[in-house]
Amino acid sequence: MATSRGGAIGPALVLHLAVLAIVVVSEIIGLIRVPIGIGAVILLPILYAFALGIIFNPNVLKATGRVLNHDATKLAGTMITIAIMPFIARFGTTVGPQIEKIIAAGPALILQELGNLGTILIAFPVAVFLLRMGREAIGASYSIDREPNLALIADKYGLNSPEGAGAMGVYATGTLIGTFVFALMPPLVHGLGIFDVRALAMSCGVGSGSMLAACTGGLVAAVPDQKDLILALAAASNILTYATGLYAGLFLALPLTEWLYRTCAPADRASTMH
Amino acid sequence: MNNEIAISDAPAEGRAIDLASHAVQLLVVCAVALVGNWVATNVSPLEALPGMACLYAMTIVGLVIAKYMPFYLPSVAWISLVAIIATIPGVPGAAFVNEAVGKLNFLAMATPALAYAGLALTKNEFAIARKSGWKIVIVAICVMFGTYIGSVVIADLVLRITG
Repeated sequence: MATSRGGAIGPALVLHLAVLAIVVVSEIIGLIRVPIGIGAVILLPILYAFALGIIFNPNVLKATGRVLNHDATKLAGTMITIAIMPFIARFGTTVGPQIEKIIAAGPALILQELGNLGTILIAFPVAVFLLRMGREAIGASYSIDREPNLALIADKYGLNSPEGAGAMGVYATGTLIGTFVFALMPPLVHGLGIFDVRALAMSCGVGSGSMLAACTGGLVAAVPDQKDLILALAAASNILTYATGLYAGLFLALPLTEWLYRTCAPADRASTMH
Repeated sequence: MNNEIAISDAPAEGRAIDLASHAVQLLVVCAVALVGNWVATNVSPLEALPGMACLYAMTIVGLVIAKYMPFYLPSVAWISLVAIIATIPGVPGAAFVNEAVGKLNFLAMATPALAYAGLALTKNEFAIARKSGWKIVIVAICVMFGTYIGSVVIADLVLRITG
């Protein structure tokens, strides 16, 4: 099983060249701003890169399967975690120069981590009352269901349980459309003109590298003159989420969602998915 | 159905970091990112090289810390901390690092990761998304919106109070 790393140079070379080509095309297209009513829809190179990756994914386009074999796509999975690291480092470097402003915003930065529980406020009622889902609703709505949250559900219920199915569903959907949602949402919320741009920035740190990139990219495009502050606050908040996310899920979000489900979901509701 | 696939190896990384193979793969990523940055900003790879070398070094230091720390934090958390400390004004070399990484567009650093992510999607992940159906798509959008807007509201309120 360990051969996919060192063993075959061929598939790895093909993969990296494909990525290089996708990156170059995406950066050539560049940022596109589509003005609509209350704000602007911002299209970013990271979105094209992801979309192009999906288009050329051998599971989608059979023709590329001949050059991008199983070893290559398996390596691609490993490369995601590696490739996000220089980005995370670059992001961290935006914090140092702004450290005084970060400390000044400290209370807001720490308390807004609790705001991640907002998913329960919005997604749980939709899942249980509107869509009449069963225990899938617990796994689906208790958190943003990225890797640490998924690991927690796997540990507690197993991924073959209803809760696991709900979490896996949101994980897979988030993987497919999360970058797009997080690129579109902040400029539109900013367009409402209600919220402090610092609040919009520090909320971008939800614990996923690609969502962080999309969210800050969209926000910086909407408010370019606050770029340095936006990046620094988002980076600081993302670190806090890395450090606290798992524990917030374990001790707050999951018990709260469980309790809500026991309290208000009809007792006879079984698994309702498909 | 094999449910293992989608978790990848992220949560389990902890002690199992293979520094040598990561170091090589990171070199590839940095090279791709340098070209992407060139196209995005017109800053030549040569001119941006010192900044990229800084990011590379910070990443390696972060990985080493993650590997040997007695308690678990994701390696990206350590990498962020190293990058923050290295750029705080007054820390030796901070001015140089800030100047150097300034040549690198932050979003161009993320583009390679998303390209890999698109290519890495497995048959299973497409299958799960399809099988979960439209209800899960609606819930997922509510989850993302709720997670974001919940933080926005609290942050905004606290900022109004504290100024």
